[in-house]
Formats: sequence, structure tokens, C-alpha cells
Amino acid sequence: MIDVSWGEQVVFYILAPIAVIGALGMVMARNAVHSALWLVLTMLSLGVFYIVQAGPFIGMVQIIVYTGAIMMLFLFVLMLVGRDASDSVIETLRGQKVAAIALGVGLGVLLGTGLYRGTVDLTPVGLAEANKNGNVQGLASLIFTKYVWAFEVTSALLISAAVGAMILAHVERRKDERIGQAAMMKERFLPGNYPGPKPGPGVYATSNSVATPAKLPDGNPAQRSISPILPLRELEPAEKADKHTLTGGHQS
Amino acid sequence: MDKLKLPDMDYVALLPMLALFVAACLGVIIEALVPRRFRNIIQLVLSIVALAVAMFFVVKQSGEVVASKALTAGGAIMIDHAALFLQGALIVLGFVALLLFGERSLEFGGPFVAQAAVTVGSERDREQTGRELGSTETFPLALFSLSGMLLFVSANDLLTMFVALEVFSLPLYLLCALARRKRLLSQESALKYFLLGAYASAFFLFGVAMVYGFAKAVDFKAIHAEALLGEGNSLLLIIGLALLAIGLLFKVAAAPFHVWTPDVYQGAPTPVTAFMASCTKVAAFGGLLRVLYVGFDGLGWQFTPVLGAIAALTVLVGSILAVTQTDLKRLLAYSSVANAGYILIGVIAGQQLGLTSVLFYLVAYGFTVIAAFALISLVRDADGEATHLSRWAGLGARSPLYAGIFTFILLAFAGIPLTSGFIAKLSVFGAAIDGGQTWLVIIGVITSIILAFPYLRVVVMMWLSEPGESTPSVSIPGGLTSTALGIGTLATLVFGVVPGPLLDLAEKASSFVR
Repeated sequence: MIDVSWGEQVVFYILAPIAVIGALGMVMARNAVHSALWLVLTMLSLGVFYIVQAGPFIGMVQIIVYTGAIMMLFLFVLMLVGRDASDSVIETLRGQKVAAIALGVGLGVLLGTGLYRGTVDLTPVGLAEANKNGNVQGLASLIFTKYVWAFEVTSALLISAAVGAMILAHVERRKDERIGQAAMMKERFLPGNYPGPKPGPGVYATSNSVATPAKLPDGNPAQRSISPILPLRELEPAEKADKHTLTGGHQS
Repeated sequence: MDKLKLPDMDYVALLPMLALFVAACLGVIIEALVPRRFRNIIQLVLSIVALAVAMFFVVKQSGEVVASKALTAGGAIMIDHAALFLQGALIVLGFVALLLFGERSLEFGGPFVAQAAVTVGSERDREQTGRELGSTETFPLALFSLSGMLLFVSANDLLTMFVALEVFSLPLYLLCALARRKRLLSQESALKYFLLGAYASAFFLFGVAMVYGFAKAVDFKAIHAEALLGEGNSLLLIIGLALLAIGLLFKVAAAPFHVWTPDVYQGAPTPVTAFMASCTKVAAFGGLLRVLYVGFDGLGWQFTPVLGAIAALTVLVGSILAVTQTDLKRLLAYSSVANAGYILIGVIAGQQLGLTSVLFYLVAYGFTVIAAFALISLVRDADGEATHLSRWAGLGARSPLYAGIFTFILLAFAGIPLTSGFIAKLSVFGAAIDGGQTWLVIIGVITSIILAFPYLRVVVMMWLSEPGESTPSVSIPGGLTSTALGIGTLATLVFGVVPGPLLDLAEKASSFVR
């Protein structure tokens, strides 16, 4: 039986459920931002596990690089792209969810029992030897001797990733698309174009939503006051009804 | 603490990889500095020069393999006969596929989209489809992928193998998304391939961890020694091997890990499909061979039945589903799944004979499949390639030469004598009977007959139907596609008529150094 110290057990039994909850929450959360935050929870717990298991370097990398840098970058991207909770929950393949859950749990049970039976009478060896010169030094000597080629080759991976990101995300502007200041001004004052700034959306006693158009002097909604990508807000009858604000509440 | 010392590097042995890697980096710089209209030709020439240099050093070394010196780069890379054969095959097949990448005469701007970031279907997208030159980042990406493949077939430990797997997969995911026409399909295929590929890589990595838990090392020699010793709980080793196998079988597209194949083959730009169908198959089977023959040799009796079942399932799924396809690229995708099954039969056969047959099959199939996709890229209408089966009706009357070549290629896929497909299937089945896997040979022969049906249906359609109004014309290929098509067809014929030299070469190469 593996001898695990008391403190390690306490840490494990506190953090392991948290890690599992984080993983489940990441899969189940509807909102992409919540998903990412759940994942952060799992990653932090794993980072602590690594440190407890005498791998301080990998633990710190897990926390600083994965959780701190990559996940936060991921969150930034989510916020910039705009979070959208309206993911379709309709199954395109019937019964897919049930089958996927059943198979996933099956695989988990299979691997779990296999791992349990494979490790139950295992005696861990080699930790003291691996960490003889210190954990970081031990890792460094492996990276720069035995696995130096693999380490160098990862640079190919990084270059491909950078090139790929440029290809998939960057649009080159053509020469004829670049408009100078003079041309832009000319276009602005062309007949048919209104050169002034657009009016803001309507602010009323009943609504100050950005989707509510301002009113023109004749009472019609000003289409220029709302963003074209916003759906026009349908007013409910109660909101539409005359509130008699002009007559001080007296019905004439 | 001792001073760290860089391990001995046999730079000549690493030169094939280094050449491709350096050329890919130069290619990225060229993208930044050279005007768009010169890029294609410069990238093409650079790639071909790099491949020629790499091939030169592979050939140079093949005469000087010594078992004691084969291990280099701190024990991470094993340059033995099998590795050199696979590397050579990858370079030659990569060269033929890259010719298709550079083709610009079939369509203005080549087969790749100019700006992959432009929204599909927008005004700008419609403009760029017909008017803008295609992106040429595809060349460095393909070279990165190839250098990863060269490393994959020569890696001597599982960690290096994993890094190589990622290096050759990532550029492929990107390349899939760059089709000029039918871009939504192309992007869908890239996303599917990426997600499933990442999943498969995770399985592979999990397997590496399990194997490390058992053997306390990740290099094949130590794994083999530890497995032979048989001490400790071998459950970890078996779980590890199973997970490793999932990762590798995904890449070779064996059932039930084949589901990505039809979608990706259909959606990816045709040159990329040709590249994947030939080179990825060689690399993935090279890796699988090394894992099974070098690392897990002692476990043969345990994995053979499982792999046998997978091989049987793969040939059945590939051949039966190929019958129902109506799109030529999908048809060839299922045919490639079935072919992966036949190669797996050779892998299971074991011994030197099995290894020889697998190496021969990989090269023969690679050339044929490149020729097939080169021809598909020729048959087009105003909307690009016309891949629907019904559109090929009556092509024989329109253009007898190309219909004839395609017929020949399909007959090679079906395994008719005087083609390389026949010799390849014969040697694989012969090795399997020799290795006591007769049941697989029976299934293999039956599925070959089933598989002949979709091929012959295409042949009958091309020759016996009247050309209709919707029959597309066959474009006159430019020099590059003609060369690729010529090389592929000629290789199919030559390896079918005089297979001796290649078989000898494969036999000489069929030995791993542990």
C-alpha cells in the first residue's frame, strides 16, 4: 500500500471534490464565461496537487501559465468576441447526449477501475532520485540533454501556431480600401448623407434602453438613433399607453 | 551538481529534418517580404530544393546504417533502415503532393483561399474567390508537417513521438481550412479534424503516462525490457498500450476511429487531401509499427486479437460504406479507411514479411491516391471541382485520356493485376497467411470484392453513360498537376508490373533497431 502522509490526504480530500465539481461545472455551464471560470477552479486544484506531490515546478507552471495566463487570455477573448448564451440546446442527433454520457461514464469507470487495480499494490520509486538536485534542476537537465531534440522541435509547433493564427484571423486590407482623410470628408458631405453625429437612443420615463429609438419632432421614431445590429424592442401595451405625464396625471 | 552536457548529435542523420525545418522558417520569412505574385513560385522552388536536400541525405545514410550508431540526439531518435525507408517515402510522396499545392493554372490563384479570415459568403468573399491570388503559407505549413512526420517515424521514445505527432498534426488542421471554394465545408472539416485530433492526442498522452508508470521510462528499449521481465502489475502497461493505440489508430483512420475521415477528405482542399491520404498514412503507420514492433513486441499475443478485430471492422466499414457514397471525395475517403484496414492486416501479420508488405503497400497506395486526387482536381465546372458522382457520367466521351487514367487508378484501388494495388494486397495477404491470420485474409478478400463495386460503378458511369448537359469539362492541367498525375500513374503501373526493386528495398528496410 502506498504510504501517503496525513497532510497530503487532507489536502487531497478537500481539493479533489472541488476539482471534480469544477470539471462538471465547466461542461454543464451554459455561459461560456462561467465555463471558463469553472475550469480555472479545476486547474488551480490540480496545481496544488502537483505541488503537494513534490512537483513544485509543474505546479507553479500550472497555476501561473495555464490558469494565470492562458485561461485569462481565453476570458479576454470571450469578452471581446462577445459572450452569447443563446447556444442551441437542440440535439441534432437524437439520443446523442444520453449515449455520450453513458459511454463517457463507461470509459471513466473502465479506466478508473483499471488504474485502481493497476496501482493498488504498486510501490512508487525514484522520486528522491529524480529530485536529488532539486526539482527544477532535474527537469532542466532532462530537457537540455535527453529530450533536447523534442524541446527544440516544439518551436516548429509554436511557429505553425503563430502562422495559423495569422492566416485564420488577419485580413489584409487592399490598397483601394484605404480611404484618405480628404476623400472621407468629401463622402461625408455628399448629398444624401447626413454629416452630423447620430442622435442617441430615446430616454423616457418608461424606458432608457439602447434599443428604444429617439423620437423625431413629428413623433416618429428616429431610425438613426439605434444601432442597426440591435433588434428593435417591442413595447408592451402597458408601456405604450399614455402615461399622462404631460397633464400631471390628470386624464383629460 | 554536474555540469550539463549536450548529448552527441549526429547532425548528418538529423539533416533531412533540419533541411525541411529551415526551409519552412525561410518560407515564413518569404511570406513577410516578397510581393504576393512572386510568392508561389519562390515557395515551390524552395520547398522542392529542401526536399531534394533531405532526400539526398536520406539516401546517403541508407548505405551507412550501423546498429550501434543508429541512436542519436540523446537517445531520442533512431535512424535505422525502416526509419530511413519511411523518411524517403514521406519525402517523395510529399514532393508529389506539393506539386499539386503549387498548381495555379486550373483556377485563377490556385486551390487555396486568398484570405481565410474573410467571412464566408460576404461581398468581400465573393470578390476574392475569383480575383485574388491564393495564400502561399500552405508551403511552410506543409513543410513543418513533413518535418514532424520525419521525426514521428524515427522517434525512439514516446515523448518525442508525441511532440512529433503534434508538429505534424497542427499544420494539417490549418491546411484543411484553406479551400478556395466551398469554404464552409472546408472550415467545418478543419474544426472537426482539430477537435477530434486533439482528443486523440490526449489519449496518446494519457497512454504515455500509463506506460511510464509501468516501465519507469518512455523509450522503447526500456519498455520492451520491462515488459519482457514481466515484473509488477502489467495492467498499467496494457491500459497504456490501448490508449496509445487509440491515438495512433485515429491518425491512420481505422474504424471505429475513422469518423472524421470522410468529412475531412471532402472538405479539405484537394491537394491537402492528397497530402493527408498519402503522407499522414505513411507517418502514422510508421509510428504504429515502431510502437508495436519495437516497444511492445513482447505483448504480441495480447494485442493481436484486438488489432485483428479492429482491422476486420475497418475493412468492413470502409468497403460497405464506400458502396453508398455519392461524392467521389467521400468515396475515396472510405476507400482509404478500407485500405488502412488492409495495411493493418499486414501489421498484424508480424515478422519481416508483414513489415515488408506494409512498407510496400504504404508507398504503392500513396502514389495511387495522389494521382486519384490530382485527377479529381481536374474535373471542374464554374463552381470549382465537380465531385458528385452523377456529374462524372459520360466523362469517357468528353475526355477519353483522363477517364482512362482514372479507370486505371480505380482498377489499382480494386486490386486488379498489373497494378501496384494487386501486388500490395497480394503481399499483405500472403504475409497474413504466413503469420497465421487466415481469417483476416478471408475477410480482406470478401471486402475487396465489395469494394470493387463502387469503383466499377464509377468506371461504368464514365464510359457507358451519355454525357449530359451537366457533365463538367476536364480542365487541361498545368505542368505541375500533369507531373504529379504522371508520377502517380506511372508508379502505379511500374510497381504493378515490376514490383521487384521496391519489394527488395522494402525487405532490406524491414528491420527495426531496438
